[in-house]
Amino acid sequence: MCSSCGFPAAPGHWTEAGAATAPDRLRSRFRRAQVLQAILPALGLSAHDGGQVPGIQISTLSGHHEIVRDLDEVWAAAERMTGKKIDPLDRRFIGGGDEEA
Amino acid sequence: MRLTVLGGYLGSGKTTWLRHQLHAGQFGDAHIVVNEAAETPIDDALLSQAKQLSVLAGGCACCDAKSQLITLLREICDERSNIESGGKRLNQIVLETSGLADPGAIVDAVCTDAVLVHHILVIEIVVAVDSLHALDQLRTEPLGRRQIETADRLILTKVDEVDTEPLMRLRATLAVLNPGASVSAAIKGSNSDLPSAIGDVLPEELPDISGATSRPPIFPARIVLDDTIDWTAFSVWLSALLYARGDDVVRVKGVVRTPAGRLLLQSVRRAVQSPEILPEQTNDANREDNVIVVIGRGYRAEDLTKSLRSFSGDRADRTD
Repeated sequence: MCSSCGFPAAPGHWTEAGAATAPDRLRSRFRRAQVLQAILPALGLSAHDGGQVPGIQISTLSGHHEIVRDLDEVWAAAERMTGKKIDPLDRRFIGGGDEEA
Repeated sequence: MRLTVLGGYLGSGKTTWLRHQLHAGQFGDAHIVVNEAAETPIDDALLSQAKQLSVLAGGCACCDAKSQLITLLREICDERSNIESGGKRLNQIVLETSGLADPGAIVDAVCTDAVLVHHILVIEIVVAVDSLHALDQLRTEPLGRRQIETADRLILTKVDEVDTEPLMRLRATLAVLNPGASVSAAIKGSNSDLPSAIGDVLPEELPDISGATSRPPIFPARIVLDDTIDWTAFSVWLSALLYARGDDVVRVKGVVRTPAGRLLLQSVRRAVQSPEILPEQTNDANREDNVIVVIGRGYRAEDLTKSLRSFSGDRADRTD
């Protein structure tokens, strides 16, 4: 396989490619938790990332929680924990109310 | 002038393969023509090694943009004719089609054009086949089958990402669809060996979809990431979109500016490539950064933007 005809690829999970330095990476983790925390309550969940240990903590309102590694796992965990399909194109995310599209 | 048509389904690895061929000195001084169905071209950013490059964006060259393709090819022929004898004349064109194109329709258009038929000889239709996703596509997408059927040469891409048994089943299925085509393999564009056969692997029994009209058409949507949308919010949203809609969102590509540089984002269904870090813009000042093309079906284009805005903390009902 040739590695010289392309450009260098960002290391790590693709969602974390926007930060190259350690301070940027930490800032990005806090921002990610903030974005998730704005989205997940609509699904009856909350997100926490203290920046100390790897992973994102997803919790239900009843206190059950799971720690996942990356964003791909967040959505799988959210479906598992709520028993509902997650869809960013359902009405609650496109301005049409709380019901799923 | 010889014309090679490079086709293949959305995300099948056409540009990656062509990029490596150019790097390896194949196609010499060929004029590369890149066709993209979306208005915002991305693939040309990867083909900087081409000596001459033309981009045909905003329509598929086998249908919507057929006349633009013919015009462009005629212009290339005119330029060549104007070179005095003794000068170096172009003798090769490589046309990379959009992933939504039927290469056969393009070849028909070239061969039946009153001017081009005297200047251009179609020497080969090369079709890239995504080893990871091709069997799924062949089960449901008539276009995917047409692309295979028109090929002279099939390049199985991403063969390092799939097990031997499904790869052999794909190969057997391709042999049923197009027994005359040669088959080879590539990893990131570089030639690779196909694994030797493991017993008798039967081809996939493909359902009859010749009259299928029930699925909505695949279309490109353009999403502008303005200053209110940072990479983190965008990646949270896109990861959710691909998780939920990865069967319908066939392809995502674009260049996003981040603190880590200009990231080339590409996905095929749920598989997202590690973003390549592009150099700062030099001679491609017209390139639109922070514009993402989402190619798929089963949703409304405006809902993508609304949903992204709600993920980035903006009001969901705000539009561009």
